[in-house]
Amino acid sequence: MTRVSENSNKAALNFAVGKAKERLEDLQIKGTSLKRVTKPSDDPLSNVEALAIGSTSISNRQFLRNSDHALLQLNTTEQALDQLSDILLKAKDIALQQSSDFYDVATRRNVANEIIQLKNQMLSIANKKIGNRHIFAGFDTLKHPFNIEGDYFGDDGKIKVEASKDFFVQINLNGREVFFADDNKPNQNINSIEFQRTLASETPDKEFHKRENLFGLLKMLTNGLENGDSNLIQDLLEKFDDAQSRIITLRTRVGSIVNSIMTTRAQLESENVDLETHKSKLIDADIAEIFSDITKQQQVLKTTYQSGQAILNQSLLDFLR
Amino acid sequence: MTDILSIGRSGLAASKKSLEVAGHNISNANTEGYSRQRVRQTSGIPLIKDGMIASTGTRILGTERIDAGLLEKRLQSSLSENEYQKERLNQLEQVEHIFNESGVDGLNKIINRFFNSFRELANQPENETIRSVVRDSARMITKDFRRIRGTLDSLAYNIDKKLEHEIVNINQSLNQIAKLNQKIRSLEAIGGESGDLRDQRDIALKSLSEYFQITTYLDNRNNFVVNAEGVGTLVSATEVQELAFRGQDKDSSSNGMSGSVEIYFKNRPASHISEKFQNGRITSLLTARNSDIQRLQKEVDEIAFNLTKGVNAIHSRGHAFKHTIQIEGEDPNKNTGILFFKDLSNGENAGNEIALSSDVENDLTNIVTALEPNNPGDNRIALAISKLESAKILANGTATFEEQYLKSIGNIGLQTGKARLDTEQSQGLLAQTKSLKERITGVSIDEEAANMIKFQQAYEASAKVLKAADDMFQVVLGIKR
Repeated sequence: MTRVSENSNKAALNFAVGKAKERLEDLQIKGTSLKRVTKPSDDPLSNVEALAIGSTSISNRQFLRNSDHALLQLNTTEQALDQLSDILLKAKDIALQQSSDFYDVATRRNVANEIIQLKNQMLSIANKKIGNRHIFAGFDTLKHPFNIEGDYFGDDGKIKVEASKDFFVQINLNGREVFFADDNKPNQNINSIEFQRTLASETPDKEFHKRENLFGLLKMLTNGLENGDSNLIQDLLEKFDDAQSRIITLRTRVGSIVNSIMTTRAQLESENVDLETHKSKLIDADIAEIFSDITKQQQVLKTTYQSGQAILNQSLLDFLR
Repeated sequence: MTDILSIGRSGLAASKKSLEVAGHNISNANTEGYSRQRVRQTSGIPLIKDGMIASTGTRILGTERIDAGLLEKRLQSSLSENEYQKERLNQLEQVEHIFNESGVDGLNKIINRFFNSFRELANQPENETIRSVVRDSARMITKDFRRIRGTLDSLAYNIDKKLEHEIVNINQSLNQIAKLNQKIRSLEAIGGESGDLRDQRDIALKSLSEYFQITTYLDNRNNFVVNAEGVGTLVSATEVQELAFRGQDKDSSSNGMSGSVEIYFKNRPASHISEKFQNGRITSLLTARNSDIQRLQKEVDEIAFNLTKGVNAIHSRGHAFKHTIQIEGEDPNKNTGILFFKDLSNGENAGNEIALSSDVENDLTNIVTALEPNNPGDNRIALAISKLESAKILANGTATFEEQYLKSIGNIGLQTGKARLDTEQSQGLLAQTKSLKERITGVSIDEEAANMIKFQQAYEASAKVLKAADDMFQVVLGIKR
């Protein structure tokens, strides 16, 4: 027979009650926070993984914001390109109409005014802003990149943003790519250069062949109209086509960037859902399990109390009367 | 015939003494550390009288304390172990709390937000408002580093205070044990009962084992010796070797903080004995201070230092864009080399010293986004800084800021979890040992009640013996009449 003393009895009961209460308290905390992991030591690995997931999904949200921003600029750029191609189309139509000697000088003068208007429109597109940022200015975004003569003051800066982790997209086209065809510095004497090109047409030089300046084209058209030079105007037709196809190429480029951003966005969004699901699995409590555990533990505590009552409240003395 | 009277009287006395002891036991049923006592009783030495053997009743040898011996020693070492784990859990839980990010924004989220603010700035480098967002998130970083590092420091400081306090308590216990040794010795010298004093000494030894592991033994001159395991003799009979503490300066401290406390033998200040203690609260406090907290302090410093270094290295390469009119011939490189964080010469104490540079603190335009001068739309510096988030520049180029920080958190979590398990386990062991010991030495009221009845009846019976003797006397005396 094991000897049982008052203190061993009491200690055993204390231990049992303490243990049962501790478990119940732990379950209660989990029940109220609905989290399985409320501190790192509950499950160090899951906790750390959940934290890493947390920052990934916050970063993903930032990437979504970045791509919002990129889309804003790219869509504005696309609109601008669209308007540019409209202007070029109109100018080409006019050039086509005026390429024959059908119209008289007075009409041509009037038409020349129209071209000047088109040129002003083009200038406003070239100086287009989002907020205080000029979209065609490269990095030098706070100044007008083009003056009334169509001279370019921006640079070749490629503004990139991170559309998803380590995936950078360029969100701007600089003025030089859009309005000039080559990388040369804008030349003040556009006319003379253009002139040289026509003269040198027999010896096709790639550099010259590619060169058309949108402002220059309109200016030449105006000149041609004002001077009634139908040869020049005819000559310009082909260049308008070239310019048009170049703008279309640029639009395709912008479009493909927009597409890749949209794809990335879709990926990010679904990734975020997956991440949240995983995180929830890692740290959230299984509610049904918790509450059934709580009920179970309450029963254990009650039983412990009852057994304690049986032992503590009675002794041999009660029966010695 | 007088034999009968004296036999009856001895039985009466023995029963009375036994009842007394039972009463003593019952009244001490709930006394901390009390070991039950019982009367040692033997039959009287028989005499040979008139060629016949005459019995002489019963004889009381004394009261005896039920001693658990080895169990008491096991209890002491379980106590040391349990106190070590309990204190460890206590300290680690406080540390863990610093790093607990569930529900609140911890450093991890704040650093993440900082890099994201640079991404947002890269979207709109011309925007002043976003620069202030960047500066705010950088301020949050410096604040949180200082919170973490400061709390760690104050934890270490509190441990020092606690150690000082404990040393005072330990010395009290030591002196108490020596005094009890003295009393027990003088009481036993005159043949007195020392059971209750031994109980008190056991209590004092138990409270001493909470601080560190001890061993006790009687040496060959019958001196009661208390040894601190690994350290040496602290009490030998009535002699006490007290402990003392002293704060260290920064260079000789074991955790790199000035004022950290080390333990010495009193009057022997040559070298400290802090590391020699085993188990118990003292060891636990020292381990937490010198290894766990110090390691975290270093890790936090490393992250803070590398963050400032990394951001500064990129930031200082860029050019700030100022809305002032450029003067002809002015050096365009004037606005370069700006630091974002205050330059920290080395990693030491970086967590406490991290701060924004005065340039950035004073002027938002000093937050640089552009690599080339005079390019307000250039976002390459901002992009490069945001890329630091995934750069593996910590732990010899194997971990990003986040990975390194999470590694620290994971580590703390593991340690705390382990401490919790260990504590539970040692508590179970302690409870088991305690109950084993209590089963042997504790008072059982049922048992004492049964004993009381037994002794009461024996008392009554002994009284009957006296009565019978008396009756016999009466008969003899009546013959004469």
